[in-house]
Amino acid sequence: MTRFAMVMDTRRCIGCDSCTTACKVWNDLPLDLEFNPVVTDGPNGVYPHLHMVHLPLICMHCAESPCVHVCPTGASKCDDDGIVWVDEAKCIGCGACMAACPYDARHKDSASGVVMKCDFCKDRVRKRQEPHCVWTCHQRARIFGDLDDPTSDVARLVASVRTEQLFAEMGTDPQVFYIIGTGGQG
Amino acid sequence: MPHKRLDDLSDPAIEVRKSMCYFCHTNCGVLAYVKDGEVLAVKGDPSHPVNKGGLCSRGNIALKHLNHPDRINRPLKRAGERGENKWETISWDQALDEIAERLAEIRDTYGAEAVATAGGTLRTDDWARRRFMNLYGSPNGFHNALLCWIPTFMIEAAISGWSPFVSDMANSRIAVIWGANPGASTLPSMRGITDLQKNGLKVIVIDPRFTETAAHADLWLPIRPGADLALALAWINVIISEKLYDAAFVRDWCVGFDELAQHVAQYTPEWAEPLTWLSADLIRTSARLYATNTPGNIQWGTALDQQGRPSGAGIQARAILRAITGNIDCPGGDLMPGPSEEYVVDEELEANEYLSEEQRAKQIGASTFKLCAWPGYRLIADIAKEKWGKAPTAEWMCEANAPAVFRAILTGEPYPVRALIVSATNPVSSYGNSLEVMQALKKVDFLVTCEYWMTTAALYSDYVLPIAGALERPIIHNSYGCSSSLIASQRAIEPLHERGTDYWFWQGLGLRLGQDEDLWPWDNEEEAYYYVVYPLGFDVEDYDEFVEVVGSYFPEPQYYRYRENGFTTRSGKVELYSSVLEELGYPPLPTYVGPVENEQDHPELAKEYPLVLSAGGGFMPFHHSEEFNVRELRYLRHEPYFEINPATAAALGIREGDWCWIETRRGRIRQRAGLTNGVHERVIVTQRGWWYPERGAKGDDPFGALESNTNVLTATDEDECDPISGTWANRGLLCRVYPCKKGGRP
Repeated sequence: MTRFAMVMDTRRCIGCDSCTTACKVWNDLPLDLEFNPVVTDGPNGVYPHLHMVHLPLICMHCAESPCVHVCPTGASKCDDDGIVWVDEAKCIGCGACMAACPYDARHKDSASGVVMKCDFCKDRVRKRQEPHCVWTCHQRARIFGDLDDPTSDVARLVASVRTEQLFAEMGTDPQVFYIIGTGGQG
Repeated sequence: MPHKRLDDLSDPAIEVRKSMCYFCHTNCGVLAYVKDGEVLAVKGDPSHPVNKGGLCSRGNIALKHLNHPDRINRPLKRAGERGENKWETISWDQALDEIAERLAEIRDTYGAEAVATAGGTLRTDDWARRRFMNLYGSPNGFHNALLCWIPTFMIEAAISGWSPFVSDMANSRIAVIWGANPGASTLPSMRGITDLQKNGLKVIVIDPRFTETAAHADLWLPIRPGADLALALAWINVIISEKLYDAAFVRDWCVGFDELAQHVAQYTPEWAEPLTWLSADLIRTSARLYATNTPGNIQWGTALDQQGRPSGAGIQARAILRAITGNIDCPGGDLMPGPSEEYVVDEELEANEYLSEEQRAKQIGASTFKLCAWPGYRLIADIAKEKWGKAPTAEWMCEANAPAVFRAILTGEPYPVRALIVSATNPVSSYGNSLEVMQALKKVDFLVTCEYWMTTAALYSDYVLPIAGALERPIIHNSYGCSSSLIASQRAIEPLHERGTDYWFWQGLGLRLGQDEDLWPWDNEEEAYYYVVYPLGFDVEDYDEFVEVVGSYFPEPQYYRYRENGFTTRSGKVELYSSVLEELGYPPLPTYVGPVENEQDHPELAKEYPLVLSAGGGFMPFHHSEEFNVRELRYLRHEPYFEINPATAAALGIREGDWCWIETRRGRIRQRAGLTNGVHERVIVTQRGWWYPERGAKGDDPFGALESNTNVLTATDEDECDPISGTWANRGLLCRVYPCKKGGRP
């Protein structure tokens, strides 16, 4: 089986927003909409003893995806390879999935009324190409691959380095894993 | 239909062209997917040695830039008053004919020196600009290059024969990142640093801001803006007094060590503490960290180039640090490439021999600021030519002093400058003391601008020429013509509409002014670049094939080259005591001088302007004043923010996001307050480059080019500039900050 996942190495991320822009441009997103913003926490601490972490956000492609469960039309799907996506032809723009998503990863396009989200660049990754946000990242802070393939970088990292799932306590089993740490360690 | 996929690129009719990004001079490799003359998509080239596939935000908007509705696509001739924004569309032929006619008149009436050209950063073939100017007879080309590496290169060349600007990072035990923030400016080098940290590379960051890079460092030195010279001198003091220097290298390969040791005895860490705002302990610890973790490198950053008066001595002191620790031209140190002995370097394309001594002597500012102008350049070029038969590029390294040219336009001293040709820059945004620059642009008799879009400089011009961007032209990058390596790219598509290249512009003007056709033998960039790379001897038919087959050329790093023929200085050694600087009338040893404005030398001023300003650092996603009209980037940063410590903000009644005035003696600008404990309580850091292209050419401040423009604050008076190089001050100025409250004072 294939189970797509992403690792975010915050020890390497510098908050440059390249991923945000690459996604936006390649997916031709409306100006007010972004699938993968990067939020900066810090600098924190007492000057001059500071630290700062950048957190790249994205749809978590949850294994237990609440957005899929609440969708009344079946537009929100979770495929066998773990990719959560929206069939725009079936979406009625009711917004239930947006309310259900704990990660604010779904957005309604004001022009078409349908809900849009990151789909892990499914048309690319299923052809063994990297998602645009991964390809463009100078820092190699985003690592993408098949969690079921033990030789993949994501599987290796998740097995060997301590990672966190955001809001794991909600039981959504996100398939995006964060290596939390400060710069210089990654 | 939303969610349109651009990435079905499997069509066999699509040609993949090897282009490069031109939105900063990292020049990342870009694959351009072209069909029927249209670029369908661009993405980072995974095989490119610089970026290995990565592209920052700017690289990703290449097509938005190429097809931007604001792009100027035809030559424009002024149809109303200057600045009225009324234009007649004309042909290139007409534009070049008329400009050439006017330049001929000016030369006949006032002399060729009455024509100056202002450049920006690398976007252009500036050897062609130089060639034009040399053949025309004017010594008055300039860039804002003094803010960016040129003082560094020339001072290091004076001391050690060439700038040791290639860090042998992979073999370094420590990297000192001094006044640079690769984490927001040169992302491929940041990746290199991050990778090497895993293998144990230690990193020191010297920066007033807690930057993206500082956040990744082992040690951050939050220095007072503009105090780098004091820190460098104190490091030398520690390294010599604690005998941490490389005694064998100093003995065999340096001159002036004893004089240096005696000279720096006064510059103790305790002396530097109140100047740098770093504790003497921290100064000692950091100096030991650098000196004992050999081999190590010191990365170049623009900060030392941008401090005005103390810049030159600071650069000199930094160069000495590398030398006395033996970190020069050794594995893991800072390598000196020298000029390429294998391909044609820029200087060989410039036709410098055609500019007479009489005209060279008229270069504006050169009698005051000698090193990066004919008096100093000549000394360095002569020594280099004797050794290599080649010299550093004269364009960039040997120029008129920019602030002095703007003053010449305004005052007529030392003589009037009647015409200014602007290419690849908006001087109002990117040169110092913008209010003065704006006056000069309005006053100069004849103004021509080569641009992508309407800017303030273009607005006040008599002619505006539409310029091709990165996808519409090939590019060779070789560190301003001063490296032994090069990276090269193909033209993805011919220039769209009636856009042209700067090479086309200078060649066209030159031929119309009667310059010899044999001196302009290349019909286009590809022909000229083939001439450049031909001596490399690759089996290729033309430049395009060179890029396809070879692409970039990096000779194997060579270590200890000086052991064969010595350093390229008069003594054959690293001149800690510099004979070139001494001959030009400057202190041969780095000698302390305070920041342009500081609380020790100017206590009264410090009462009125109690905060210390650092202006000019880069931030993502913009580069200089570029891309502010690209919506896909602007949405990331809608408005300008300056950095202020929360304690200072609270004392001044400033809350997060408040619009505030930031004021120096030159003028004031407004930006929003960004509260961060990443800066010292007395430090203010403004964002550079801001203008508001969306406002159009209306009102008293067209495009809002002055409103939030950090260069309104910067200092360019003659006594504020570095006497050696002539660079002006963006860092270490005194300022005050107060909330706007409906635009007035509190």
